[in-house]
Amino acid sequence: MILLVYIYFSLFIFVFVSLWKALKYAKMPMHSRWELYPVPKETGERAKYGGSYFEDYQWWAKPREVSHVGELKEMLKEMLFIKNLFVNQRPFWWLSYTMHLGIYFLGVWTILLGVGALTEPSGLPSFIYYATLISGSVGALLTALGSIALILRRFTDTTLRKYTTPQEYFNLLFIFAVVITGMMVWVGDPGFNYGRMIMKGLFTFTPFTHGGVLTVHIILLGALLVYIPFTKMSHYVGKYFTFHKVLWENEPNLRGAKIEASVRKALSYQPKTSWSAPHINNKGN
Amino acid sequence: MKNLKPQDMGKRTEQLVQLGKLMDLPAPYDQPGMEPPLTVPKDAWKEKHCTTLDGYVGIDTLIRPQTKAEEEQVVNSFLSGLAKIFSDDVNRNFLQPLVLSIKYCAKCNTCSEACHIFKASGGQEIYRPIFRSEVLRKIVKKHLTKSGKMLGSLVGADIDINWETIARLGELAYRCNLCRRCAQACPLGLDNGLLAREIRKIFSQEMGIAPKPLHEKGTMLQLKTGSSTGLTKPAFLDMLEFMEDDIFAKTGKKIKIPVDKKGADILLTHNAGEFMTWPDNPAAFAVLFTEAGLDWTLSSDMIGYDNVNYGLWYDDVQARRVAQEQFKVAKQLGVRRIIIGECGHAHKASAVSMDRITVGEDKIPVESFLPLLWEMVNRKVLKLDPQKNNFPVTLHDPCNVVRMMGVVKPQRQILQAICPQFREMTPHGVNNYCCGGGSGFAIMQSMNFPEFRKQVGSRMKFRQILQAFQGSMDPGTPKYICAPCSNCKGAIRDILEFYHTTEKFNIHYGGLVELVVNALVDIEKPFLEFLA
Ligand code: SF4
Ligand code: SF4
Repeated sequence: MILLVYIYFSLFIFVFVSLWKALKYAKMPMHSRWELYPVPKETGERAKYGGSYFEDYQWWAKPREVSHVGELKEMLKEMLFIKNLFVNQRPFWWLSYTMHLGIYFLGVWTILLGVGALTEPSGLPSFIYYATLISGSVGALLTALGSIALILRRFTDTTLRKYTTPQEYFNLLFIFAVVITGMMVWVGDPGFNYGRMIMKGLFTFTPFTHGGVLTVHIILLGALLVYIPFTKMSHYVGKYFTFHKVLWENEPNLRGAKIEASVRKALSYQPKTSWSAPHINNKGN
Repeated sequence: MKNLKPQDMGKRTEQLVQLGKLMDLPAPYDQPGMEPPLTVPKDAWKEKHCTTLDGYVGIDTLIRPQTKAEEEQVVNSFLSGLAKIFSDDVNRNFLQPLVLSIKYCAKCNTCSEACHIFKASGGQEIYRPIFRSEVLRKIVKKHLTKSGKMLGSLVGADIDINWETIARLGELAYRCNLCRRCAQACPLGLDNGLLAREIRKIFSQEMGIAPKPLHEKGTMLQLKTGSSTGLTKPAFLDMLEFMEDDIFAKTGKKIKIPVDKKGADILLTHNAGEFMTWPDNPAAFAVLFTEAGLDWTLSSDMIGYDNVNYGLWYDDVQARRVAQEQFKVAKQLGVRRIIIGECGHAHKASAVSMDRITVGEDKIPVESFLPLLWEMVNRKVLKLDPQKNNFPVTLHDPCNVVRMMGVVKPQRQILQAICPQFREMTPHGVNNYCCGGGSGFAIMQSMNFPEFRKQVGSRMKFRQILQAFQGSMDPGTPKYICAPCSNCKGAIRDILEFYHTTEKFNIHYGGLVELVVNALVDIEKPFLEFLA
């Protein structure tokens, strides 16, 4: 029972803190424009070569065109394939992507476990069974492989080692430990029946049986879920803002435009404190 | 120091690095003796300034303290500024991008390969984009976070915060051109250029320390006299008269340059450095705008004749003050739009960075001159003969125009139309390399800083230029680097002089409008002087 509550708790913290962080970023004051081209929401070829509406003669007199599809496509490429890393640093991408892909697979696996738990009473469809099997095993292997490879790479590469803090090794090790304990449970139950059992327990709020290794695994996983949003591993939140709200945010402030009201509001803000350099308070004299 | 780490910034050693083997240059600069050796700083500079980073002095106003108390005062002032950049009260305009870039670095080191300074230096550790960021991050961790205070080195809060750390970090913020090429490469969208700029802001806005050419003789002078060149209104008006005579002598065209014309369609603004150093550039604009029959004007109002905004590089408060004055001029003249001439950072300042400081009636649309110029060429408003420009031409992309603003195509279309031997640099467009003059470097002339700029900062650009002209290096063939930006021109002028490239290989530089005027059918003599 305690373990059940613990899982609820860690899931809640994970979601709650992640959302809270997102909200915190979303509520930050409007910043100066700081876009960086290429901006994928520009239309047509421009999205590719990095052009913008500023290329149009009298751009401000033309209707603004934005390609949300282009933006979405670029976002998905980044999310699903870590495109920037692929393009700019292939060797590291192999390792990082192995781990991230593993985590994505485990995400899918978790959903499939849920679906499995719901369908099991009326007979588990075999494709759910096999999809769970594949996503779980591939996910676990890739995550384990990726995280340990990243640790080794960081440790053996003289440059990376200089910049990696003990905490950053710990983070990777933490992920590795969670996956390894998971794999230890899995060895004793290759069909992931225990996973569906836990899901059922979660859905129906009924305690489930758990052996020693499973207990350790759940405790570690729960701790990881609680820990992630407090660390920079929560970059799933940050990345949205760096791209959407900073690098790709190029909305012009035109007379009468929608953004004008927000600009007006931002301009009306009166700071309560000030910088201390002499020229700041002397109005440039 | 061997195997240098960010933590070493706090060590009281004499000089962290001495630059040695730099990135190789292509032929003919791959031969020994084509480049003077790097120098060491003078003792007097060591005593007075901070040379303990790499031996160069970028911040001429950063003075070594004489007493312990003075040292502490500097450190405390830095730390107080550090807290302020994270404040949603005084740093509202950059809080979100700053926090994101501080928090999420995955230390994947992808950004290093993108940085021309790091590459040109032969891979010096201190110029790695994340080196600087990591020092800042460590100070933030140690000074501003609970985890840093409790867990210390476990979470990366392992750095000594003393005068040397702070001074070196300040200097290091001036070893970055703020070109943001590294940010393009970052898988998390983080921005080491922004972090360098925030450090510069702490120095200027809180500690009152900024390079003289940017601050005292830059924004301060501009706010006082109207121009960072010190150019006053009467001198400006004189200059225009002289320019009209010069245009007549060169092109046979009698032109009256419109000044302070109320209600004109276009207010054209230039970097005042053009009037002083490259008057052919504003003259070429005058020829083309008159030829095309545009309804345009220059302004002789305070600040109206200088579109620069050095604040962009180091101080938000100054940037805003300058921009406000500039927009006011346009409003008072009652023009329909502002067109920015060949100045990259003025493009970014007026059209992008300062886009959100005015609203309603005060908001005058800002355009780059490039789409307008392409419109003129494309619609055949101008009678042009490309054969007049039949020599190798390459294009330098000012970062502020391409990467920060997305104006990429019009300049290429123009060059393709008027220069039969146009060739691109590699890489180009939004992936260009900075000229090495970005973020104030082009005008920072104190002590040995120009050596850093010329041999490290501009090295990648020099390499690209040489590569673009491979096969045409014969001194009998004139070659032209088109650099539509005053600062880029300044940096390129300095490298061509430094490496004697013009004299040895007949490589010249200049703007874009000069090329267009040179191609005008109805002028007899070449407008570009090196062709005369
Ligand atoms: S902004 Fe440019 S100069 Fe600065 S670290 Fe990045 S790539 Fe290097
Ligand atoms: S590329 Fe981005 S995440 Fe990677 S080290 Fe550089 S700043 Fe950090």
